[in-house]
Amino acid sequence: MIKVENLHKKFGENEVLSGIHTSIQKGEVVAIIGPSGSGKSTLLRCMNQLEQVSSGTIWVNDKQLTDPSTNIMQLRQSIGMVFQHFHLFPHKTVLENLIYAPIKVKGLKRNMAEKKAYELLEQVGLSMKANEYPKRLSGGQKQRVAIARALAMEPEYMLFDEPTSALDPEMVNEVLDVMKDLGKSGMTMVIVTHEMAFAREAADRILFLDGGKLVEESDPSSFFSNPQTDRAKAFLDKVL
Amino acid sequence: MNLDFGQFVPNIPYILQGILVTLKFVSVSAIVGFALGTILALFKIGRLKILSWIADAYTSVFRGTPLILQLLLFYHATPQLTGYDISAFEAGVLSFGLNSAAYISEIIRAGIRAVDSGQNEAAAALGIPYRPMMKDIILPQAMKNILPALMNEFITLTKESAIVSVIGVFDIMRRSQIVAAEKFKYFEPLLIAGIIYYVLVMVLTLVGKLVERRMSRSD
Repeated sequence: MIKVENLHKKFGENEVLSGIHTSIQKGEVVAIIGPSGSGKSTLLRCMNQLEQVSSGTIWVNDKQLTDPSTNIMQLRQSIGMVFQHFHLFPHKTVLENLIYAPIKVKGLKRNMAEKKAYELLEQVGLSMKANEYPKRLSGGQKQRVAIARALAMEPEYMLFDEPTSALDPEMVNEVLDVMKDLGKSGMTMVIVTHEMAFAREAADRILFLDGGKLVEESDPSSFFSNPQTDRAKAFLDKVL
Repeated sequence: MNLDFGQFVPNIPYILQGILVTLKFVSVSAIVGFALGTILALFKIGRLKILSWIADAYTSVFRGTPLILQLLLFYHATPQLTGYDISAFEAGVLSFGLNSAAYISEIIRAGIRAVDSGQNEAAAALGIPYRPMMKDIILPQAMKNILPALMNEFITLTKESAIVSVIGVFDIMRRSQIVAAEKFKYFEPLLIAGIIYYVLVMVLTLVGKLVERRMSRSD
């Protein structure tokens, strides 16, 4: 379980998150939506400490992520992350991208890591690209490799930061399909997204953020058909 | 013009032997400069203020004074200060290595800065610690960007190595001057030395191009 308590985050004088309370249960798929600048990505990035919180507490399982004495590097191994701009290692082949961290960080034997990597490439439908460099892949393929790379560490949680926002429209679905399958397989996922149809279909719960506050939190069908707050209504009017 | 290379033919092997001396000198200096330059660059981008301050001060001093002055200082001051009788070769390697480290550290620093910060984040998110992240993820990408600038630095090093002749290292330059002094004719031996340096630099340029091509496999 990831538990967020009274989370505040400031960039200089600008308060991006002001007092977020929420928790993510094991096996849950949670979509974070809201207008740009609402703090969605910042909230997600706090969950693996890519952003340091200004105040508040985040628990991952029984470990306090925000405690300076916690070994963040070790904790991050159990939290996979997928970025908007993929951030594959451009000087490594697809296979090398997948096996580097398992070998280097988890001490896996090379043949074991490769075996796992091929399974994951199969899962995201890219076995034939194992020896290509990222530059030779399309955006959708890159993002699927990035998902496989995160999964290669066998994380308990997966964080997705606008995974389809940098993609050409025709490539969005191939990535969303991989994510849907992942959610069905029981992976705990937190997804910042602008894909409302996807959030409605794949998420168990919606967190609606606006102005750094968690404004509404409910299951997708009630959120999309019957939003409780004016701000959520106004937002949905614009995007649907 | 009364150029007469004929009379220098017996001296050419002697001058050519200087190539080995020059190459040995340049390669050791380049290794020292590159290793130290990398460390200094890591100091400069690191979080510890004191280390980046040291590295900046180092660069400032070595870039701010003439190389030949540094060379003469190392050669003459080392015995006086420490009692160690430093050889001309050692003094040369020391001053050239330390001097080029200052330049190389700036080149590498800029190269590291130019690597997309997303690479750091991706590595961090995978739980990759700082050291392997730098060694396997950031530096290889930085190297690709800075290779042309680095080759430039090695070429400069090769040419400027002629300065060590003033403290008596028997390199190409010194040997050609000895031959010249012997025959009271300067033009031809210097021209021979010039041609040798030019060929060396051309070979280095070629090697640089090959390395560059190899490194751009991932493009």
